[in-house]
Amino acid sequence: MFKELDPILHSQLRLAVMSLLIGVKEAEFTYLKEKTNATAGNLSVQIQKLKEAEYIEVVKQFKDNYPQTICKITTKGIGAFETYVNALQDYLNIK
Amino acid sequence: MKQEQPMTELESFAIIRNMINAAKTEQKDNGRSWIIWGWLLLSVSLLTVMNLHFAWVEQIYFFWNLFGLFSIALFTFEGIKKLAKKNQDVVRTYYKDLFKLLKVGFFISLAFIILNMNTGLSPYKGFGLLISLYAFWILIYGAVSNFKPSIVAAFICWILAILCLFVKKIEYLMYVHAAAALIGYIIPGYLANKAFKKNI
Repeated sequence: MFKELDPILHSQLRLAVMSLLIGVKEAEFTYLKEKTNATAGNLSVQIQKLKEAEYIEVVKQFKDNYPQTICKITTKGIGAFETYVNALQDYLNIK
Repeated sequence: MKQEQPMTELESFAIIRNMINAAKTEQKDNGRSWIIWGWLLLSVSLLTVMNLHFAWVEQIYFFWNLFGLFSIALFTFEGIKKLAKKNQDVVRTYYKDLFKLLKVGFFISLAFIILNMNTGLSPYKGFGLLISLYAFWILIYGAVSNFKPSIVAAFICWILAILCLFVKKIEYLMYVHAAAALIGYIIPGYLANKAFKKNI
């Protein structure tokens, strides 16, 4: 029986953001934008969705008078990512 | 990345792989600092040997003192530069954070040994301790970065550190130290640099 893929993660940009954050401690919005080649607007929307699902933490602050958004994966996010990867492996039969 | 599109499982895997690879470059070290410090340490050791032969200056450890002053100036400059830049890193990794802290510990221990050498500790024991500390630092780097050349180099450096205890001439002591700089710093540094360039 195949597990259902998490709809929050089964989206190109949200999955890309989570895959980036899983390997680092925290990353700025600019870093995520550069690595995913996404538009600022689209990235903001997807980050908000990940935040609402409590998969990431978002800290907004000011650095040298410029707004700065820092994203960090949460324990819940790590768990969801692992489950998603395991489900993918089941689908592709690569375990 | 464009707007939402239906995604197959294979595409999902491709995204995960690409993004993890992109983030992996943040964890990689380009080996530059190992190369710079390695060449400096090797040069100072060999300049000290040459000074022993040609007697350019009376002080045996003249080049070491010069190196010490240079290091202090470099650290001061780096410190000021970092303060002025106010941490411009757009991404923080556990690897980088760990090394920042460990580097502080390494340099404090290094300074403590040098202080001991300047207040009566025999250079034969002092340089042995220094090489032993290099080995420990190189081993940590090798283990955390999963970089085998550094792990091997660390154990060779420990053998060289033990060798220092049996050396009876400053000249030979400098050769052992130069060998430690070459094996522990320079060779792994170039190998790390080569691997870094290959991955970007």
